[in-house]
Amino acid sequence: MPTIALKAISKSYSKDGAKAVSDLDLEVVDGDFMCLLGPSGCGKTTTLRMIAGLENLTEGEITVGDRVVDAAHKGVFVPPEKREMGLVFQSYALWPHLTIEGNTDFGLRLRKVPKAEREERVTRVMKTLGIEQYRDRYPSQLSGGQQQRVALARMLAVNPEVLLLDEPLSNLDARLRLEMRTELKRIHSEFGTTIVFVTHDQWEAMTLATRIAVMNNGNLQQVGTPEDIYDRPANRFVAEFVGSPPINIVELGGGAGGALAEAANAFLDQQGTPRETVGSVGLRPESIRLARDKADLPADALSGSVRLTAILPTGGNWILELGIDGQKLHASTHVAPHWHAEEELFFHVASDAVHRFDPNGHRLPQSDASTTKVRKAG
Amino acid sequence: MTGARQTDPAGAVAESRLNRLNYKIRTAWREPTAIIGILLTIVFAYLIVVPIAALLYDSVEVQFGDERRAGAPEGGLTTYYFSRALFSPVAQDLFWQPLSHTLSISVGAIIISLSVGGVLAWLLGRTDLFARRWFATALIVPYMLPSWTFALAWRTLFKNREVGGQMGWFEAMGFPPPDWLAYGQVPITIILALHYTPFVILLFGNALRRFDSQLEDSARVLGAPPRTVARKIILPLMLPALMSATVLIFAKCLGEFGVSYVLGLPVDYDVLATSLFRSISSRQPGVAAVIAIAIMAIGIISLLIDARLVRESRKFVTVGGKGSMDRKNALGIFRLPATVFAGLIFLISVGLPLLVLTMSTVMRVPGNFALSNFTLDYWIGQDLEFVAFPTGILLTPDLWTAVWNTLTIVGFASVCSGMMGILVGYVVVRSQVKAVSVFLRQVTFFPYLVPGIAFAAAYLSLFAVPRGPIPALYGTSLILILALMADQMPYASRAGISAMMQLGKDPEEAAQVAGAGWFRRMISIVIPIQKGALVAGILLPFISGIRGLSLFVILAVPGTDVLTTFSLRLLDYNYTQAANSVVLIISAIAYFGTLAVQKMTKTNLADGLEG
Repeated sequence: MPTIALKAISKSYSKDGAKAVSDLDLEVVDGDFMCLLGPSGCGKTTTLRMIAGLENLTEGEITVGDRVVDAAHKGVFVPPEKREMGLVFQSYALWPHLTIEGNTDFGLRLRKVPKAEREERVTRVMKTLGIEQYRDRYPSQLSGGQQQRVALARMLAVNPEVLLLDEPLSNLDARLRLEMRTELKRIHSEFGTTIVFVTHDQWEAMTLATRIAVMNNGNLQQVGTPEDIYDRPANRFVAEFVGSPPINIVELGGGAGGALAEAANAFLDQQGTPRETVGSVGLRPESIRLARDKADLPADALSGSVRLTAILPTGGNWILELGIDGQKLHASTHVAPHWHAEEELFFHVASDAVHRFDPNGHRLPQSDASTTKVRKAG
Repeated sequence: MTGARQTDPAGAVAESRLNRLNYKIRTAWREPTAIIGILLTIVFAYLIVVPIAALLYDSVEVQFGDERRAGAPEGGLTTYYFSRALFSPVAQDLFWQPLSHTLSISVGAIIISLSVGGVLAWLLGRTDLFARRWFATALIVPYMLPSWTFALAWRTLFKNREVGGQMGWFEAMGFPPPDWLAYGQVPITIILALHYTPFVILLFGNALRRFDSQLEDSARVLGAPPRTVARKIILPLMLPALMSATVLIFAKCLGEFGVSYVLGLPVDYDVLATSLFRSISSRQPGVAAVIAIAIMAIGIISLLIDARLVRESRKFVTVGGKGSMDRKNALGIFRLPATVFAGLIFLISVGLPLLVLTMSTVMRVPGNFALSNFTLDYWIGQDLEFVAFPTGILLTPDLWTAVWNTLTIVGFASVCSGMMGILVGYVVVRSQVKAVSVFLRQVTFFPYLVPGIAFAAAYLSLFAVPRGPIPALYGTSLILILALMADQMPYASRAGISAMMQLGKDPEEAAQVAGAGWFRRMISIVIPIQKGALVAGILLPFISGIRGLSLFVILAVPGTDVLTTFSLRLLDYNYTQAANSVVLIISAIAYFGTLAVQKMTKTNLADGLEG
């Protein structure tokens, strides 16, 4: 499949209104399972619809391979029905007046595929998705999960090079969702289809995607592998949006005080990082370790004393609520904690697990000391 | 070099602008939606905006023959018609008295129907009334029948020597009813009240049903006695529904023609609609235009008030909860009296009138119940002694002409407006050009604000004479079809818009992404899915068109008689039995038609009333 390139695309619905999508650059390459992730209203669905051709661009251009399919300033617009893509709607949008078979072979009929081949392809797709026995039923007679499969089958039948999915799992219950996630991963490898997937669910994004594009307020925040996004968030928005329980942010500078900020500042001093370059640091809950004895604290870690205020078991995991000078930290562990509530403890975070953000919230590179250490470790 | 460098960017900018324009045009106009939108805009501008503009203009333009009185040449501008209708010595008869009659009838009808309908709605919705389900349907019947059915029944019973022809039943039995009981304000008010009571039952009943019983329970738990709960919780929340019913009944009374014509005319009891009719029949188009404008203005104002109230009541929308008012109050010793009351209302508003009408068509002499007096001659007899009716009504060619006209005119108009309704819905929901969709939505709704009789007057003033390439249409079926279409558009376009909204964009976009072009999507996706809405959008206006009178009475001529105008003409010639038979035929079509549509589309009349 040729690469789909979004070049500085923008969309605004009114002349002076806020932009739903602004100045977005993104490349989707062959075999990608690209996920557009962001809170609701961030412009991810609009972006997907612009790729499909269901929304027009205000600025910018979209190319598929060498071919421009949409560009306001060049006056080019290829309508959705000519783009040869597949799109699965959040509502599934099955045609209520057609049977499952009618829904599935609609695209093939349009393409004037001969009957025998049509039959064969429809059967194959239905078998793959396990909906063959519902062939002659109508959509209203199927459950949500089955409808979802029909919506997928309908698009897969025409074998599109790109499959666009708009929050396709959000209407399913938890168990079905897990099942369909596996299904999607299988389809991705089996059909070799490039997939662009929209979701607000970080777990869905992390588990499915080969690459994630995080969006907020119509702006692209970061593109990268799930590991990139989680381990090296480009800014505070990404750091705070991805991860549950969310990352602990310690505000520094500008009058922010308290024992926690002092501990962070002491850590920065020790690392040789000038305090004024750092606006805040972020600590992932699972990177926070606890110790009873001050002697057990590693030398170059960010550390301090805390009180364990609550232990919240989530079944297999524990969330620990820590109080420090009126502020709260959340830690998580998958080992049963051997502390009790209201115990005075020490916490520490390894230096390479401390995320540093400048006063504008952008990520600062890891300090030399920790980078070298990581390299050595690698 | 410098010059080239300066022109180059300028050229590029111009080119880019051109491209952008091209892009805009391409994306906005690439599908027929936009072109259909433009066509619909032109059609409705002509069918709705232009007639009303013509009517407005008629009220200030000197008409043929009025040059001397208006003191200006024909075609000049004048305030003559306004001052004649509103301030001259005849203004009292032309406008002010009809206005006060209209208002007093409306107020009377509203008070009666609110109190009767309110009680019935409560009995039907919240109590253990006997035969509750049966009553719930039976008490709605008056709304399905033409209102002047009851006027004819009244006249058959209470007619006195004020009017010639056959005697009324009471008169024939030796008790000539006084004028006040036979004609004018009293009977008109009672009949309109009975006709609009179902309105209240439906609107108020719906509001009661939606009422969350938890609100009531909360008040009870806090210690409020039932009386306080009713006064402080239920009534305030029901107020918007009551107000809405009030305004709707008022707006309907405003354009009411048939009842006032049948029962008001004999004693010169004019309402605005009949005064307008008289002005038109006595060839005073200028004055007629002024009266039509007044009716229109009052109609618009009252419906704007209603819209305002509805918006206010949206504040209460949070009311919706899971609990509904399924709980029934036990009536105790009042159970039987309450049932008798409901039965009585049914008898007065449906049973008796229909019985009287039916009997009147099989009796030679009114009020004589001897077996020898009964005959089927008026239906199927031959060689009768009447001048114009040598045969029974069913054997009269005029009836079948009227039936044919009704079916073709109303049918054609309904099919057109139903299809246009779906198209309007499609364009309004899909159009990229916002102005088109806003215009279409509003213009197709506009006739709703204009009582049918005023609208008919507008059509008359536009199409009575040739205008531009369009010949004079008065006297043709086409003018009836066009006026009817415009009159039905509010319902048709609302049905279309809500059907398209409900469908949403997704199914169509899914087909688009799958590779289907516009026509393919229309034929394979949109129309098959909207089949039900289309059928309902054609049949419901058809049924209401069949029993409609006020539009036809102004625009129809004997050659284009429909059933309603035919029966009115028969009545004018005092062929009571024949007129009553025709009205019974209309009632039967309207009643069974409504039932059939409800069954077919699984909809409820109540749903159509709101929205």
